[in-house]
Amino acid sequence: MAAPALSLSDCRVLIVDDNEFNRKSLALVIRRAGISDIAFAENGREGLAAVDRFRPDLVLLDVDMPVMNGWEMCEALRRNATHEELPVLFQTALDSDEEQVRCFEAGGSDFISKPIKPGECVARVRHQLEKRKLFNDLANFRERVQRELSHARAMQTSLLPEKRRLAEVADRYGLTLDAHFETSSELGGDFWGLYPLGDRRLGLLLVDFAGHGITAAINTFRLHTLIDRFPMQHAAPSQWLAQLNAALKDVLPTGQFATAFFGILDLATDTLTFAAAGSPNPVLGIPTGAGGNGPEIRLLDSAGLVLGASRRAQYVDQSFRLPRGGFLFLYSDALIECGGEEWGPLGQDAVPDFVRDGLARDRVHPLHPMMERFYARTNLPLRDDLTAVWLARRA
Amino acid sequence: MDFSKISTGEETEVRLTGRLEFTDHDRLRDIVELVEHPGTQRFIIALSELEFIDSAGLGMLLILQEEAESRNVKMIVRGARGDVKRSIDLARLDEIITIEP
Repeated sequence: MAAPALSLSDCRVLIVDDNEFNRKSLALVIRRAGISDIAFAENGREGLAAVDRFRPDLVLLDVDMPVMNGWEMCEALRRNATHEELPVLFQTALDSDEEQVRCFEAGGSDFISKPIKPGECVARVRHQLEKRKLFNDLANFRERVQRELSHARAMQTSLLPEKRRLAEVADRYGLTLDAHFETSSELGGDFWGLYPLGDRRLGLLLVDFAGHGITAAINTFRLHTLIDRFPMQHAAPSQWLAQLNAALKDVLPTGQFATAFFGILDLATDTLTFAAAGSPNPVLGIPTGAGGNGPEIRLLDSAGLVLGASRRAQYVDQSFRLPRGGFLFLYSDALIECGGEEWGPLGQDAVPDFVRDGLARDRVHPLHPMMERFYARTNLPLRDDLTAVWLARRA
Repeated sequence: MDFSKISTGEETEVRLTGRLEFTDHDRLRDIVELVEHPGTQRFIIALSELEFIDSAGLGMLLILQEEAESRNVKMIVRGARGDVKRSIDLARLDEIITIEP
C-alpha cells in the first residue's frame, strides 16, 4: 500500500512564465492540488529575484521567455549553493529529445509538456515536493542527531580525568601519568578513572563495556553513578569489584557486560594490588639494577568473570611490587584487536615489545610514540573504542 | 559470521565460522530461534571454525545461555581454539556457561 500523501498546503510554488494565460491556468491547476502559496514572475531575471524573495519549495519554469530564458535562469540557480536542491520543473512545448535533454543539463529536476495536462502536472509537482519534504525531514533529523551526539560526547569526555587533573595527581603521588581516549563512533563504552585514597594510596580503574556506540555509552554513565556508591577506602580491589558487579548485574540487560581492571597503588609499600574482570593483560614494568637491559616487563593475568553477567561472580586480588621507576600500562582491547590491511591486529603477545619500543623512543612519555605506532598500522575509524593509560613512578 | 546447524532429535548443534562480533547482532535472532525449536534439549555451539570473537560476541553467548536456560535447554560451548579460546578464558565465561574442549 502506498504511504498516505503528504499535505502540500504549506508548500510555496513560483511560476515563471511570460504568458499571463499560462500563469493563471498553471496556478489554477496546482491550487486544486492544495497549494495556495503561489508567486509569479514573467521572465528568468524576475524569477531569480523572486526565488530570493519568496523562497519557493518548487519552481515551475517556462523555457522560452524574453530577457532571460528558463535554461539560463535554472543554470544561474544551480550556481548558487543555496538553491542547489530547489526542485525546478520545466514546462515546455519543445518536444525534441535534444531540447528536453537540455532541460536536465540546465539543472532541471523534471519537465511537463505543454499543453499542460492537469493530472500529470499535479502528479509531477507533488512528486517533487514530497521528495523535497522527505529530504528536508531527513536532513533535519540528521542534524539533530549529530547535535545531540556531540553533546553526549562532551558529557562522556567530562566523566574522564582532565589533563589538569592528571597533572595534579601525578605531582601529588610522584608519578608520570599519560592517557589516550578515542571512541570508534561519536560515543563509546570505555571509561577510566583515578581515585586518590589518602596521601599514599591511589585507585586506578579501567572499564570497557561490550560493544560501542550509544548503548555502551549509556552504560558508562550508569557506571559513573554507581562508582560513588561504593567507597574504595577500606575495600580490597576484589571486594570493590564484586560490589560493582552486583550493582551492574541489576541494571544491565543480559548480553551487556564490561571488562574491568581495578587496582590500588600503595606508595608506602611499593605495592600494586588489583583485581580484574577479563580486561586485556596489563603490562607491569620493574626497573632492573644498574647494567640491566632496561626494565623487566611482564603481562599480568587479568582473567575474571566479566562485570554484570552473574551475581555470583568472585574476584581475586593479586599483588605485585611496583617500586620507583616501575610502571603500569593499561589499555582496552582495541589496542590489540584493531588492525589495518598491511598489518593485522597487534595481538596480546606483542604488547610487551610494543611497550619496549615506546620506551626506546621516549623513556619518560612512551604513550605518545606507542599511539603513533598504533595509528600508523591501523585503519580508521577504529572498530572499537581505545583507551590507554600509562602510569609510572618517578625514579 | 556464518553458521550452519545439524539437528539430531533432541540435540541441535550450531557451527559458527568466521568472526563473531558487534556487527553480527542481527543474526543472533536466527540462532535464538534454533534454541526455541520444540523438542530441543541440548544446544551445542561449536566454535572450532570460529576465528575471532569480540566482547559483543561474548555477550551473544551470554544471551544464548539465558535463552537456553529459560527453556530448560542445556547449552554447551565446544571446541573454541586460539584467540577465541583465549577471550572466553579471559572473560571466565566457564563460570556461567558449560565450556567443553
